[in-house]
Amino acid sequence: MIHQGDDTVTIELDQREDGELIGIILEAAHRRDFETMTRTATEVSEMTRNWATHIPWDDLASLEGDDDELAQVVADLTEMWEPAHLRNPVDPDEEYALDKNAYDFYRPAGCNLLTRTEDFYGWVQARRRTETWQYSRVLEAAPDSVAQITNDLGRRARGINFNSQDYLSFNTHPAIREAAARAMRDYGPHSAGSPMVLGNTRISDDLEAALGDLVGLDHVTLFPTGWAAGFGAVVGLVRQSDHILIDRLAHSCLQQGARAATRNVVRYEHLNVEAVRRHLTEIRATDTRNGILVVTDGLFSVDADWPDLVTLQRVCREHDATLLVDVAHDLGSMGPGGTGVLGMQDLLGSVDIVMGAFSKTFCSNGGFVASNSPALKQYIKMFGGSHFFSNALSPVQTAVVREATRIIRSAEGDVLRARLFTAIHALRDELTGRGLTCMGEPSPIVPLLIGNEKLARTANRLLFDRGVLAFMVEFPVTPTGSSRFRLQVQAGHRPEEAREAARIIEGAIADSRAYLSSAFGSAPR
Amino acid sequence: MYDAIVIGARCSGASTALLLARRGHRVLVVDRSSFPSDVISTHFLWPHGMSYLNRWGLLDEVLAVTPAHTTVEVVNDGISLTGSVPTELLHEYFRDLHGDDSGVVQSYASVRRRVLDEILVGAAAKAGAEVRTNFTVRELIVENGQVVGIRGRAVGGELVEERARIVVGADGRNSFVARALALPKYDERPRCTFAYWSYWSGFDLGPAQLHRRGRLACAVVPTNFNQNMVLVWGPSEWSREFRGDVPGNYQKALDFVSPELGEVVRTKGTREERIYGTLDQSAFLRPLHGPGWVLVGDAESAKDQCTAIGMTHAFRDAELVSVALDRWLRGDASIDEAMTAYGDRRRSQNAAAYHDYVCTLAEMRPYRHDELQLFVALRGNQQEIDRFIATHADVAPVSEFFQASNLFLLNDAAKESSADHPVFENFAETSRSYQQNLFA
Repeated sequence: MIHQGDDTVTIELDQREDGELIGIILEAAHRRDFETMTRTATEVSEMTRNWATHIPWDDLASLEGDDDELAQVVADLTEMWEPAHLRNPVDPDEEYALDKNAYDFYRPAGCNLLTRTEDFYGWVQARRRTETWQYSRVLEAAPDSVAQITNDLGRRARGINFNSQDYLSFNTHPAIREAAARAMRDYGPHSAGSPMVLGNTRISDDLEAALGDLVGLDHVTLFPTGWAAGFGAVVGLVRQSDHILIDRLAHSCLQQGARAATRNVVRYEHLNVEAVRRHLTEIRATDTRNGILVVTDGLFSVDADWPDLVTLQRVCREHDATLLVDVAHDLGSMGPGGTGVLGMQDLLGSVDIVMGAFSKTFCSNGGFVASNSPALKQYIKMFGGSHFFSNALSPVQTAVVREATRIIRSAEGDVLRARLFTAIHALRDELTGRGLTCMGEPSPIVPLLIGNEKLARTANRLLFDRGVLAFMVEFPVTPTGSSRFRLQVQAGHRPEEAREAARIIEGAIADSRAYLSSAFGSAPR
Repeated sequence: MYDAIVIGARCSGASTALLLARRGHRVLVVDRSSFPSDVISTHFLWPHGMSYLNRWGLLDEVLAVTPAHTTVEVVNDGISLTGSVPTELLHEYFRDLHGDDSGVVQSYASVRRRVLDEILVGAAAKAGAEVRTNFTVRELIVENGQVVGIRGRAVGGELVEERARIVVGADGRNSFVARALALPKYDERPRCTFAYWSYWSGFDLGPAQLHRRGRLACAVVPTNFNQNMVLVWGPSEWSREFRGDVPGNYQKALDFVSPELGEVVRTKGTREERIYGTLDQSAFLRPLHGPGWVLVGDAESAKDQCTAIGMTHAFRDAELVSVALDRWLRGDASIDEAMTAYGDRRRSQNAAAYHDYVCTLAEMRPYRHDELQLFVALRGNQQEIDRFIATHADVAPVSEFFQASNLFLLNDAAKESSADHPVFENFAETSRSYQQNLFA
């Protein structure tokens, strides 16, 4: 595109491109033709001269007789001229495993639903081959504060166990095991059907009453899993014209329930009650006819913090909105008498809707929804599909949860929680003292911030057989770039075990950083 | 004895000198060049980059000779998104990073370095910094492991020695300071782009356009002197073949990525300068600071040009480091405290996530089905388009956009589907064809 015959053509325009010139200089250097090197360098653009200030563009002739200097200049020019990946080869499997995120595979191409999953599977296999796939490990025996596991490549490991959700160590508690055995004897392993038909037993009624007592709400409904409780409560209540305001980090069952229920979903900034107030005012300015459900966790399961529920509930009432709080992680494990975040904020009996899961503290699958309204209870049973159209909790599960609830409310519960918090403080103090970042507040969840996925995945690989079992969470559990180890503490952890684990984890992270040669820290902003 | 000697008087160096001098410190800033002077650069300033200039009182001088716009059009495999960086996210950015959100502007601009760097150097001198151009640093003076000054010379001049409490390395990707101290590189990502560009007159297309097709991209951005910067880039793996015929392949890349733009350039454009190029773009970090020295700008963190963020980041560093050094120089903080504060911001989770974002983009792999579907889902959702652009420009954190619940909601709110966009016909075949080196 050189316009010949045009008066405005400058010398610049006719000059050769710098890459070509550097190529000529490198060739000339090979022949030790210093005259050509010097002459060609005068044509190199001001742009490149000012960029590559380390090249002695005006002094190339002086390299004659100084082989070391010449070699250095050739190396420096080559570095600018040759694609860098040719100098620094990387393992393509590892590069692929570490670079991608699950969201890269959410919208696969192709009309065949079977074959289009292959792309994702290729990535899973790369993660497996490089031992950076943290999912689907299995237990070899009953987990305690220590557990023995096998990963999905068949490799075994034994370690201090921060991978179980068993905050009060009920899995090995004799009374819990006895309750399970008794229910097995009395009712057998099976629930006879949906709780709407004949799936529940006498134990289920007892459990509903005990849970109602724990959260201070009269009307409780059981669900076969915690996920079903959250999803069922939201889709049972909310219709297409209604609105949902949901904390950005609320649990997946609530997010997916929200998506399934309505398109009018606002994800408000994590914990920001003022943002909720603003959104509610906006919605109510134009819509006074439809419902608004505000959804939050109590204790957030990967951030270990909780909202100001007192203000949130008040703001909801001021705008004719209904509040739903998921207490899956805090109920039983913290707060006065095991009443969780609700008890800590003196809100027992005064939150619109409370839902929870048994899998963290109550030693079983299952979940519940509670409120002060018998009508709401019957409505959710009918329209929250996961209650009506699932088999009920099994008698064994129900009996376990009932016994767990009893212990939680007893003096022994206080002792277990005290032990749990001793271990929590030991773990957090040791990690923090070693310069690591524990997010949130002291609670059974100790999120240890890593940030970058590559660092987290390689730290996870290194940690595997060093004597600590910890679950690394990344997208979709956390946002991208803020992965972490989610350490779940148990009452059975001795403080010295927690400190030992902290030391090992720090070592794995430091080694991982060295392996990746990474200078990034984990400060948030 | 100076409070600070700044080596390099361009985006990060002149700005750091300016800000330190304005706070009353004795500053010497040196550069090998004399100004005006050009340097390899995509010379794009995102709105936060422009906001920094505004905060420093220099924006008007730049705008007097430089076209600026607010909206940008981004076209990926034919899927067009037009938006701008939202003001409220800019305010949030400045509050979070600097604790002060004054001076926010929403416009962006492409400013030739021969224009911008001269304005910055002039401002530094006016603020009281001593500026020595045509000055080449030959040596760092190190005593007891501590950098305490420099030795260097002006053209044809005597070797001079100057001392300071701190030496600031603001001398770019190929930093002399880093080489003299034999600093290691961290977080290296060798895969990057090659880029070729030139300056064209003869057409005015309004706001900036960024186009991408397969593994190639191009941008047309209005810049100084009534010219357009027309830039093409692709994966550095293809650079050797591209180099075989630079002018021919430059046009070929334009025609491939956007036939319309290729046509405009071919039929209406007059090229005003030679074609420039670089593939010296691989990403890395260096240690940020040590005894008697600190790095800013490309010297501390070099990244590929594909998000055109370098100058904006240099300005950010200048503000961060000058605030930190000021606290120390005044005696309000120890050097360790001051440098830790700087380091925390520069080596944060958000910074790591953005580093990965740029490096992954710089590999120039063909867009995946997922990614293109996301662009489709964004169409018509102006708020989220704007947030995506803000994320691309490192105004909003990567983690806030690429978050499960947000991506699901974007999907659900989609107004268009893949049926509306031809790239999805025979997607697998198209995608495969994109792997072919166009210049081989």
